[in-house]
Amino acid sequence: MRRALGAWTGIVLVALYLPIVVTGVFSFNDSKAMRWSGFTLKWYEEVFRDHNLRDAVTKTFLIAIPAALLSTVLGTVAALAARERFRGKKLYNTLVALPVMVPDIVLAIALLTLFYAVAVPRSLGTAVVAHVTFDLAYVAIVVSARLQGLDRSVELAARDLGATAWGAFWRVTFPAILPGILSGAVLAFTLSFDDFVITYFTAGTGNTTLPWRIYSLMGRFGVTPEISAVSTMILVASAALIVAALKLAKVPVGGGGR
Amino acid sequence: MRKSLWLLLPPTAWLLLFLVVPTAMLTTAAFSAEGRAYVADPDTLRLLWRSVRIAAAATALCLVAGYPVAYFIAGCGPRWRNLLLFLVVLPFWTNLLVRTYALIFCLRPAGFLYNEGAVVLGLFHSYLPFMVLPLYGSIEKLPKRLLEASQDLGASPARTFLRVTLPLTMPGIAAGAILVFIPVLGAFAIPELMGGESVRMIGSVIDIHFGQQNRAAGSALTLVLMLFTTALTWLYYRFRRTEGLV
Repeated sequence: MRRALGAWTGIVLVALYLPIVVTGVFSFNDSKAMRWSGFTLKWYEEVFRDHNLRDAVTKTFLIAIPAALLSTVLGTVAALAARERFRGKKLYNTLVALPVMVPDIVLAIALLTLFYAVAVPRSLGTAVVAHVTFDLAYVAIVVSARLQGLDRSVELAARDLGATAWGAFWRVTFPAILPGILSGAVLAFTLSFDDFVITYFTAGTGNTTLPWRIYSLMGRFGVTPEISAVSTMILVASAALIVAALKLAKVPVGGGGR
Repeated sequence: MRKSLWLLLPPTAWLLLFLVVPTAMLTTAAFSAEGRAYVADPDTLRLLWRSVRIAAAATALCLVAGYPVAYFIAGCGPRWRNLLLFLVVLPFWTNLLVRTYALIFCLRPAGFLYNEGAVVLGLFHSYLPFMVLPLYGSIEKLPKRLLEASQDLGASPARTFLRVTLPLTMPGIAAGAILVFIPVLGAFAIPELMGGESVRMIGSVIDIHFGQQNRAAGSALTLVLMLFTTALTWLYYRFRRTEGLV
């Protein structure tokens, strides 16, 4: 029985990873056909020569970096506030975590409605606002997890020994939760970097990001070696980022579920 | 210690301005005469039914394929357990479009694209981790004593599974099903790329309406999607019953 379960788990994992591996391998294939005909880096060279793709990478960073910074500050503050006791705390927790549960298209259309209503043209700025709104929730959740492991009596001790509230925060609380804050920041950056739907609806024309570019290339050309090459690079980069974020947070993946 | 309630202000203000107010505006736009007429249209109802059907099929596939995986992982030693959980979750943190591209890359030679089955497969492929994690959480908590007692009292393994394991892991099943169903119902890129014009889901049609400046209809459809997900989110929190953000 145990053996059958193990075999099934193996099959599912292969099904998850095989397409990614196949795509990666064929991005080094000399011919455009699905048949191996020799190793080449020419598709990668073509990707690096493509101005549109380079521009898309720039746009992606111009949205993801400010969004990650701002959402890290707001998300950390949100998590710190969630430690206090106050009326309406349940409502507050729901509000902060809501963007995780709502499908991204709903959040995107709601913000689009706001931007139309106040006649703000869509730009990189509106995209950053949209990204911060959903990144914030993830940062707050990661930092909260870290705060739960922090003994509040240590902070109280610092206060008793004469530290100001501000001093106690920077000398005691902040260093203790810094790994959580950093992994929250990496997480926010990764989410923003990978996002397609929110950007698509809130950034406006001319601000095509990398995932958006891939989407339109796929819509127009279907499958090409260049897209395979870009995809492989994105995959490797985001996997590396996520491993870094998890290492920083030092939490076992999925410990206790989501 | 004095409470630092001022901390509440910045995140609450941000979320009021960019989440609550926009949602209220969206609701108002959806309830216009045009919006209401659009939702009552038989074509819209057909679209909703197709979307729910596809999302339900993908959720069921995730459950059937994911339960044995979660069960196996829960029975492993700590080292394997962490590695396997990591492997299940990792694809989720990589780009959705890239994963979808890879799947299309492999399915194209077989000609299995642009039908409901392909969309279901694509959604399953991308959202499986949402099912496995909560399932793992509830299977791991199963009291071993109860399983042994059932065996000792003469129940077959199948009977033990159906009468003990399954009912006790129901909260995990419910949470997993809700966590998969919500994003899948609102999916946009996967149905558009793997289903094409013949298998449109809610997300694609919202995009079409806003592309044609048909905002009332687009808002109405978004609101329907939001109501679905709000109801399910409420259910999810009832099943979870924890305090705090985590």
